[in-house]
Amino acid sequence: MNRTTTGGTSTAAPALGARAGVRPAGYAVVRAGRASFLVHRRAVAVAALLAVLLAVAVVLSLCIGETFTSPVQVVDVLLGRPSPDEFVVGTLRLPRLVVGLLAGTAFGVAGALVQTVARNPLASPDVIGVTHGAGAATVAAMSFGLVAHTTLPYVSVAGGLGAALLVYAFAWRGGMQASRFVLIGIGVSIALGSLTQLFLTKGDYLVAQQAKVWLTGSLNSRGYDQAAPLALVLLVAVPAALWAARAQRGASFDDDTAIALGIRLDRVRLGLALLGVVLASVATGATGPVDFVALLAPQIARRLTRTAQIPLLSSALTGALVVVVADLLARRLFSPVELPVGVLTAAVGAPYLMWLIARTRSRSGGSSS
Amino acid sequence: MARPTRSRIGWLIGCAVLLALAVLLSLAVGSRQIAPSVVIQALLHGGTSNDAEVVRSLRVPRTVIGVLAGAALAVAGTVMQGITRNPIAEPGILGVSQGASAGVVCAIAFFGVHTLTGYVWFAFAGAALAAVAVQLVAAGGHRGASPVKLALAGAAMNAFLASLVSGIATTNAHALDEFRFWQVGSISGRGTDVIARIWPFVLAGLLLAGLLAKGLDALALGDDAARGLGHDVARLRVLGAVGATVLTGAAVAAVGPIAFTGLAVPHLARALVGAAHRWVLPVAALLGPVMILLSDVIGRIVFPPSEVPVAVMTALLGVPFLIVLVRRRTVVAS
Repeated sequence: MNRTTTGGTSTAAPALGARAGVRPAGYAVVRAGRASFLVHRRAVAVAALLAVLLAVAVVLSLCIGETFTSPVQVVDVLLGRPSPDEFVVGTLRLPRLVVGLLAGTAFGVAGALVQTVARNPLASPDVIGVTHGAGAATVAAMSFGLVAHTTLPYVSVAGGLGAALLVYAFAWRGGMQASRFVLIGIGVSIALGSLTQLFLTKGDYLVAQQAKVWLTGSLNSRGYDQAAPLALVLLVAVPAALWAARAQRGASFDDDTAIALGIRLDRVRLGLALLGVVLASVATGATGPVDFVALLAPQIARRLTRTAQIPLLSSALTGALVVVVADLLARRLFSPVELPVGVLTAAVGAPYLMWLIARTRSRSGGSSS
Repeated sequence: MARPTRSRIGWLIGCAVLLALAVLLSLAVGSRQIAPSVVIQALLHGGTSNDAEVVRSLRVPRTVIGVLAGAALAVAGTVMQGITRNPIAEPGILGVSQGASAGVVCAIAFFGVHTLTGYVWFAFAGAALAAVAVQLVAAGGHRGASPVKLALAGAAMNAFLASLVSGIATTNAHALDEFRFWQVGSISGRGTDVIARIWPFVLAGLLLAGLLAKGLDALALGDDAARGLGHDVARLRVLGAVGATVLTGAAVAAVGPIAFTGLAVPHLARALVGAAHRWVLPVAALLGPVMILLSDVIGRIVFPPSEVPVAVMTALLGVPFLIVLVRRRTVVAS
């Protein structure tokens, strides 16, 4: 929809066939019929590597559990061949893995989008209140018995969007300042966390127990019921993300450059942020708040690809990889006790956030205004 | 911002009256409503009626704990804002309370310490560690500790410690029961023994903060000015940090982490009596308990018969305060 040219690299794209010498360093041209694309070589290599790692992690995660299943059997089950381990792998481990994969992907993409819009590595859906909003809304719906279980994902999305809007409205003061946005996001997150506690007090005991398990961010006993809405949203989000990849480049310039290039900044930003918030909220609805994945994944991906923008595909793959590996560790580290996966991601992610803050230079200290 | 001393004394007395009212409310309101006259009767003349028993054995300890914790947290917040010269410094936001609570949890789970006298020291250690870590993280980079970096470092520390506590709780089932009530701060169900063990620490912390009042005023002018006025800036900061840590650790050991009292109250106090710490500190010490007790009373009446923990209510009351502060002031320049 947004056909504006986005930055120096892509304006040069159509002409590249004739003048290959203009091609920016590190990029290769891919032609498909009359269309041609610029592809960042390292980004492709990293994405391929991440995909391989993810495949290994998936098979490992299906192999390892209370009993060990050989990878050959696992592949058999995955391909639908008859196997003695059908029940353990196909019925017990696979649904949980699918939820983890989808949620990780959603968190990764959401983080990439929000960080691009805020132009700040510290801004992520969990810092600016989205996951807490989704959490508060879901717990409220659970403890007041307002909705059936099938509509809970919509409630999460509404909560996440509501929280994001609230933070945006409070932080808007004749303009947007990234640091004010983050500070208010932290405050609103705390308030929503307290509201969640309030609703827990209100609900009856059984509901409160259920909600508490959900709140720790766990993949335990999550199955296709939770995976279905998530998969649906991701399906819709893929075309949107393709658009996002183009628009993202424009949004990551500073305001003056972007406006000078003719990018309708506010619209691009709004679209990207909206997509990110919806993805994060749906994922939270499925797994509970798995903290810091949305913060970590894009940062890891960008450090790997060494691109100027946050790479969407690699962020998605990294997000999925982080959640799958973290869940595997959370299951086995203290066996027979299972830790919620959110505990593990927070234990790794929080120190990383602190490291990011400690080495913050003027460049990324929220200097946009 | 010189204000006439008379109006300051007026505010001080006003706050004291407010505190008296809050105490009366806290004694009278609950799942069993007791008329104020009966409360006063029970306090002054004893008596053996059910109401008198409820007031003396349940509500008096609860109220006293609330007063101690409120005064401790509010003064800790004032001192922290003073020594960091940062308007959003506060034990809860900076992760110091959560640090104290993690210390208590570790003491119970790993060291087999089960008495308050024992684990209050762990609370101090946890609070101090968290405070130092957050300050170090935020002071990294060449711009020093800006409000945003402090708040973010605190949020990260809170998340990290919460996951730590939750991990210990999941893997250590028998300890879980003992410290479950710390995860959300609450002033109910604490007996007179808790009061007896906690008040010396609170008193010591308050006295230390009071002694530092002049130094904190000088520090507000900047490090160089404070040095020029003859203050040892480093010693001032260390003493202030010790005071804030003792106050926070004692409060958390008694009631669990309660956020935002240390943020809202000092700013309120400054709005009433100006920036001089010899006035701000006593007013904060009076208003802190008011905030805790009122939050507790509201928590008792929103969803009867269950009670909402006081920490939940203080956060809900305190967050609008943070938002106004962030919007109004130019504190955010990072």
